[in-house]
Amino acid sequence: MHIPDGFIPLWQCVIYYIVVIIVGYFAVKWAKENLDERKIPLLAVLAAGIFAIQAMNIPIPWGTSGHMVGAAIVAILLGSPFAGFLVLAIVLIIQGIAFGDGGLTTLGVNIFNMGIVGGFVGYYGFKGLKPLISKIPAVFVAAFLSLFISAILCVVELYFAGTFPLATGFYFMGLYHFVIGIVGEGLISTIVFIAINKIRPDLISSGAI
Amino acid sequence: MNSKNKKFLVIGIIIAIVIAALAPFLASSNPDGLESATEKLNPQALEIEPVHESPMPDYMIPSFGESPISGSIAIIIGVIIVFALAYTAGIVLKRRN
Repeated sequence: MHIPDGFIPLWQCVIYYIVVIIVGYFAVKWAKENLDERKIPLLAVLAAGIFAIQAMNIPIPWGTSGHMVGAAIVAILLGSPFAGFLVLAIVLIIQGIAFGDGGLTTLGVNIFNMGIVGGFVGYYGFKGLKPLISKIPAVFVAAFLSLFISAILCVVELYFAGTFPLATGFYFMGLYHFVIGIVGEGLISTIVFIAINKIRPDLISSGAI
Repeated sequence: MNSKNKKFLVIGIIIAIVIAALAPFLASSNPDGLESATEKLNPQALEIEPVHESPMPDYMIPSFGESPISGSIAIIIGVIIVFALAYTAGIVLKRRN
């Protein structure tokens, strides 16, 4: 879902950059008030793992492939959407600058979609669903929703950019990311949650236990 | 850092590096969801050049050619950079008592 350069007019790119800078300010504030030193290894390992797993595209039908985003599981494990934002911002900056994955003009919109939308939908989705469907299913559904809703918003952005038509944009992006959301985001996030819950439950945010 | 956290860190990095090393061998080379949708909806958009030249385009080291090994090395370098940056960000931004 990394939008390349040229897909969005520059003036619109600036708007996304401004939103990212504002959220970034609050993310830094969150970290300075809440980021426990003992959680730093989890944060760094999740960032490294997400970068690696994003390089391994999973095949889906229709000659297409996809990968997880990861903001949801970071937000759930570390107990804040801002944690998902920080990790994805780092991953996306390196992908954009060093690997040409996602443009530099579109770095703002990519951090907006995957870091902000992914982190907030994942965190609040999990929080809202946990009492209804229990912990593990809530991780799966919240992770799925985080990717799917990011993809749907991506279509709206590309519509305003004049790059995608709305209806067929929803159809193709929705179809592909429905599958990627299940096998990429939902399944892998659930596995990561179960694994960390088993080996180091003390690292998981108290809200997710 | 206590030994429990050190162990977690080492195991975590090893898992990330193993995924990175295997990625070019296992990954699907099909276009991703956005690229696939663009091919159908607005193929001209895919012709646009990026605004900067990245040192490891498409997760490959240019001087090593387009082989899976070149890909593995590029992605492992990325894993290490991302890990170092995230760890540093954590140390700089952590809560102070």
